[in-house]
Amino acid sequence: MKKYISRLLYLMLTAFLAGSCEYDNYDEPNAVLEGTVSYRGQSVGVRTNGPEFELWQDGYDLKKNIPVYIAHDGTYSVSLFEGQYKLVVKEGGPWVPMLSDTLIVDVKGKTTYDVEVTPYFTIEDPGFTVNSSTLTASFTVDRIVGTASMQSVNVYLGTGMLTDQNKNEYVRNIATDDIVPGQQTTVSFEIPENLANEEYLFVRIGVRSGQSNEYYYTQSQKVEL
Amino acid sequence: MRHLLIYSIIISFFLAGCNNEDWLERDPKNIITDEQLWNDPQLIQSLMANYYDRLPSMHGVFNTGGMSEIDDAMWSGHFDENWRNDFQFGDDYGRYWDYGFIRDINLSLENIDEYSVQLSDDQKNLYKAELRFIRAFVYFEMVKRMGGVPLVTTQLIYDYSGDPAYLRVPRAKEYEIYDFIYSELETIKSDLEANNGSQTRANTYTALALESRAMLYAGSLAKYNNLMSSPIMLPGGEVGIPADKADDYYQKSLVASRTILGSGSYALYDENPDKGANFYEMLMNKGSREVIFAKDFELSLKVHRFSYDNIVRSITEDNEGSSMLTPSLNLVESFDYLDGNEGTLHDKNADGSYIPYENITDIFENKDGRLYGSVVYPGTTFKSVPVSMQAGVAVWEEGQYEFRVAPNLGGLYEDAALWTGFDGPQDNAQFVTNTGFYMRKFVSEASGASTRGVSAQNWWPWFRMGELYLNAAEAAFERGLEGEARGYVNAVRARAGFPENSITTLTMDIIRNERRVELAFEDHRFFDLKRWRIAHEIWDGSDNSEEAVVKGLFPYRVVRPGHEDHNKYIFNRMRPTRFRRARFFRFANYYSSIDPNVLNNNPTLVRNPFH
Repeated sequence: MKKYISRLLYLMLTAFLAGSCEYDNYDEPNAVLEGTVSYRGQSVGVRTNGPEFELWQDGYDLKKNIPVYIAHDGTYSVSLFEGQYKLVVKEGGPWVPMLSDTLIVDVKGKTTYDVEVTPYFTIEDPGFTVNSSTLTASFTVDRIVGTASMQSVNVYLGTGMLTDQNKNEYVRNIATDDIVPGQQTTVSFEIPENLANEEYLFVRIGVRSGQSNEYYYTQSQKVEL
Repeated sequence: MRHLLIYSIIISFFLAGCNNEDWLERDPKNIITDEQLWNDPQLIQSLMANYYDRLPSMHGVFNTGGMSEIDDAMWSGHFDENWRNDFQFGDDYGRYWDYGFIRDINLSLENIDEYSVQLSDDQKNLYKAELRFIRAFVYFEMVKRMGGVPLVTTQLIYDYSGDPAYLRVPRAKEYEIYDFIYSELETIKSDLEANNGSQTRANTYTALALESRAMLYAGSLAKYNNLMSSPIMLPGGEVGIPADKADDYYQKSLVASRTILGSGSYALYDENPDKGANFYEMLMNKGSREVIFAKDFELSLKVHRFSYDNIVRSITEDNEGSSMLTPSLNLVESFDYLDGNEGTLHDKNADGSYIPYENITDIFENKDGRLYGSVVYPGTTFKSVPVSMQAGVAVWEEGQYEFRVAPNLGGLYEDAALWTGFDGPQDNAQFVTNTGFYMRKFVSEASGASTRGVSAQNWWPWFRMGELYLNAAEAAFERGLEGEARGYVNAVRARAGFPENSITTLTMDIIRNERRVELAFEDHRFFDLKRWRIAHEIWDGSDNSEEAVVKGLFPYRVVRPGHEDHNKYIFNRMRPTRFRRARFFRFANYYSSIDPNVLNNNPTLVRNPFH
């Protein structure tokens, strides 16, 4: 009899625990918002783990931002619940912040939303050629925001695709005095010894304005050595 | 009838009992009432002790782990905490929003007025001035980290009307908080005179020292923020001080510093002719005239474990721990040579060959005495015991040195001489230095100090003369008084072993470097870099940066029989494996983000820039 009661108790406890699980179960977010950060149709390269956007949702008492991380090639993707969100382009990126004009995004199922930003500078037509151990890079820096000051321009070499100011195997600084916005710049330099024996390298060019501490990057380009 | 009489007697008992209200009215035995507290100086003092204990700091007061994130050092302790060498300053890094403390102080200030009847006016004024000092200190900590914060100086009491909107205090302008700190300290400084003999309670000079520091911060924020190509500011002024206020702030700071320097109550500690040991003792000998205000520790009451954390590995008295915070090569090199040359160590000739040294300490010869006083480097002693520091041997093979490291610390090489020292340095290891240096500053030599059972009782200096001299120097220099500023810097340098008037032409870079070496690990560096607006340049996140990456220097014994360099020492610069990620300070880190819950509760608050 005693055994029977204790079994019954166990059974009841299990049933209670299993039953109560339903109460605080929520479905996982089932919608996806994804897109590209772009300027005039061209995606904007950023530092991996660098600039972020923020998503906010109205209609609740308490608010907290949902961070949107941007991949190095300018794409992003977030898992969300369906609904209407506000997307904010914060300061801190290589672009002009848009704090007052909030972008309203309706997320339903898989939603694609490209975020148009205004970078302070862009780099057009990056081209790289390798001649034995010399790398030649040609590019055009464009000033998009008239008041922006050009702080620094670098060419980055890396063994992996995620190459940027913080993570690289070699960085070549180019004096900003030598660069005229809108005109093509060509620089050549020796590939450093420790990288010369690699089969290929990833090359990126970055430009930073005085208004931000993030660089605008070209897309990672694979260069065969 | 008889019953009626009995009833009326019984009823009359109740009536009489009810009448005597005093009998029911009793003081609780487990609660101290406001009337008791605010009329008893001893109780007030113990309350004050609690408030002094809660004085905020970023990573000061012997916070070993925190120091390894923002000072010139890395974490060499347990591997589980290696994230300290591999992290990025988050948006909330350094967030500080302690209105619980502000309320406690405001409540106390109001209660003194309300309940104190037995205290003399002098006593009341002293306690109130101390409370207001602590409040100013807390506001300074908040404005340093968050910018302008809501200025609350009275209790906020809810009236249960259903609408708490009137309690929502918006943020003050950044300069308004600094002005508040100044006016508070000016008002209370004379009330604090009774404490002038104390180094652990606020007195007149403590108030002036806080004034000197806060006004210097405000001045440099006004100046350097506006020199940025895009100054960090908010339209409402919650962040960003107008540039035209800089001169006034510098002047206020200078006046406060001059008053302390000229008071005769304090002096640069200069008792020991050995300048290195002197610098170390300056912080260890309690009661020295160097220290204006300190947080004291006492073995029987309250101890800290900075010595357990950081003592040289082989000298520890405990069976675990040690060697957690290890200074960087970069810090060591920022100490100049006594002949006035820049502090870069001479490890290699111009042609790239190693410079051999007869003794392992020779490379550190003639350095600023503060290097010895702050850092344990190879060949020196701690607690009069020589440290055993040698990374390994450099064996000459096929025209170059090959570095060989022993499998065990303290092992002997084939030639029966030391291979790797008992104190390392060892790369990618825990509880042994990974940079080639140990901490000396603040690490107590007292017996048992490095055990967890006893621990250390040396005190933490909130304000000391070394800082005041450099505050005065910086403020004077910014005011264009180069001669006066030079005098202050030279005094600090003379105490460190430099000849008199070692600097003939003062620059801002010299002042900044002096602060770096004099005040290392004293919770200044992070805020100095911030207020000069160079933190994002120094800690730029680049692996190629000398400043953002913590480097080490490993000494090796040369094994090259028959050659003149045999058994000499060469030094190899290296990047410790455990230091994973270069420090990266973003614009967003100049002011920490405000907690979203705080923003939700008070919609009048504006968010900080970049957040």
